[in-house]
Amino acid sequence: MFIHIFTYRLKCLLRDYEGIFWTMLFPLILATLFNMGFSNLNSAEMFNPINIAVVNNESYRQNQSFKQTLEKVFTGDDRLFNLSVVSREEADEMLKDNHIDGYIIAEQPIKLVVSRSGIKQNIIKSFIDNYMHTFSAISNILEKDPGKLQSLINDIESKVKYSKEVSVTNAEPDNVLIYFYTLIAMACFYGGFLGMGEVSDVQANIKPVAARINTAPVHKLKTFFYSSAASIIIHLTEMLILLAYLVFALKIDFGTKTSYVLLTTFIGSIAGFSFGAFISAIVKKYEGFKVAVIVSVTMLCCFLAGMMYQDMKYIVATKVPILSYLNPVNLLTDAFYALYYYDTLTRFFTNIVILTGFIIVFCSGTYLIIRRQKYASL
Amino acid sequence: MVVKVKDLVKRYRDILALDHLSFSINEGEVFGLLGPNGSGKTTAINCILSLLKYDRGEIWIFGQPMRPDAYDIKRNIGIVMQNIAVYNELTAYQNIDYFCGLYVKDKNQRKKLVNEAIEFVGLGEFTKFYPRKLSGGLLRRLNIACGIAHKPKLIILDEPTVAVDPQSRNKILEGILELNKQGATIIYTSHYMDEVEQICSRILIIDKGREIATGTKDELKAMISLGEKITVESYSITEKQISAIKKLPGITSVDYKNNALIIKSGKGTNNLETVLDFIRKENIHFGRIYSEMPTLNDVFLEITGKELRD
Repeated sequence: MFIHIFTYRLKCLLRDYEGIFWTMLFPLILATLFNMGFSNLNSAEMFNPINIAVVNNESYRQNQSFKQTLEKVFTGDDRLFNLSVVSREEADEMLKDNHIDGYIIAEQPIKLVVSRSGIKQNIIKSFIDNYMHTFSAISNILEKDPGKLQSLINDIESKVKYSKEVSVTNAEPDNVLIYFYTLIAMACFYGGFLGMGEVSDVQANIKPVAARINTAPVHKLKTFFYSSAASIIIHLTEMLILLAYLVFALKIDFGTKTSYVLLTTFIGSIAGFSFGAFISAIVKKYEGFKVAVIVSVTMLCCFLAGMMYQDMKYIVATKVPILSYLNPVNLLTDAFYALYYYDTLTRFFTNIVILTGFIIVFCSGTYLIIRRQKYASL
Repeated sequence: MVVKVKDLVKRYRDILALDHLSFSINEGEVFGLLGPNGSGKTTAINCILSLLKYDRGEIWIFGQPMRPDAYDIKRNIGIVMQNIAVYNELTAYQNIDYFCGLYVKDKNQRKKLVNEAIEFVGLGEFTKFYPRKLSGGLLRRLNIACGIAHKPKLIILDEPTVAVDPQSRNKILEGILELNKQGATIIYTSHYMDEVEQICSRILIIDKGREIATGTKDELKAMISLGEKITVESYSITEKQISAIKKLPGITSVDYKNNALIIKSGKGTNNLETVLDFIRKENIHFGRIYSEMPTLNDVFLEITGKELRD
């Protein structure tokens, strides 16, 4: 009987193109769009050297200290400026054509010429102000107490940091990962459509086909479990395809704990399925209404987990921390997040244990509701 | 006795859907459950199938009390729902095979049964069609095949001909009689009295969940006073002539409406000749004149005071 029901259920699910779209193709499309939309997000936060020019006049050529300072900031991989030494006319032309963000005239005092104000222009100005401030300090000390010059130079060269950056992980910080993690969580909870379908298919008061199944000489819970096995297999396969697409095609980093990532996906899939089954069991309405409830709840959970606005996850965690633990989508997202960022598994297992609790609640609730064998009305 | 229903009561909040309904069905019968829409036919069927909770009463099938987990009983029941109950993602063949497989485990036996069911309902050319590609009539036939493929001893058909073209309807009705000939006991619910008259050996008429009358169609017709109904289509009958017809022997009532004169007479009398003589004598012009024996609608009308087709 298991093989019979399981096989036919697989056929039904594989031919349900609408279901396949929402549970597999939609997350794949969304992942592609995320990837296209977020591809510049990390690079936008990287610092690129600012293009500047310095006018090659007599005072620049003679100002050795300024020349040496500039040399320090336009060489190396982490340089501050890309520097061009040009004539005043060429500098004007370059500024006009937006080839540079400003140019410096190394007179006394040093002048900065820019065509507009902005962050880059502020950085150039800060650099010049800093130089002039230091230069002025050295000049004053040389004038009043030349003996303290060496001590001043030592102070300038050895700036003391009073805070220390400690890394909790070897993982590179990545602002877009959370979006993809919530996307997987969303896809897991879209498995709720499959759970909903399985419950509806044995509820004689919802579907005529369920009434026929209820009149057959097979316990309806058996039919439900056998069919559910097919649904879970289909959904797990869809989730693995999504995961493979994210990892191999979009190069999304899930860290190194592959087996735990797969475990999280499996638990997420079961959680999504059982969530849909539970909603289907408690909502005594037609299927369209149940779909609306599943989509609404899932999207709200995704929003609170940071899918639409990354900081929302942080806001919820700080302002209403309990909500972080009551939101299964967030738990799933956070499990992936913890696997990527943390070297220890404490946070990951906390999420997984709570998520398993949710699964137990959803499954028990569903069982208690659908086990009844007669209906008050059909 | 295949089915015994005793004192069945079912309420939907304040509405009494089944009001102490009792009946029994013998082996080999085609038992008709006739009543207007909302009379409680489907509710009674759902209670018999243990799908619905009921407030009071007893239901016995094949001599055993019917319960949701009475799988031995269920194994011998075939159900054809009022609504189409098939999977849109499976072909016609796969649908029949799936539902048959819930009753029959042996693959070879199942294959034989499925093919027989396909041949029986005439879906041979459509086995690879998906339900949405089938016409309304073919879909109804598929619905029937899914319910009867496992060769049940008791087949319950709940309004199987709703929204079906005449050709498919005849095919379905012929099929039901054939199933009965093969040994199945049939429960057939409908609000189409002509269908019930055509195929049922015994009929239970219900209204508002209550038994109105039970018996063969002849027994039911014998319960009422009407013997014959003569209709004369004419537009030139005077009040005086109507009064004269009323005085003819055996005539119980005369009604003239919409250019149709309806003359009813009691049992055991045949007044067609008398009425014809009167019309000739009075030189009344008429279009058609015909005589009808009482129908189940007349039975329902006389007992409840309302038309069955309402």
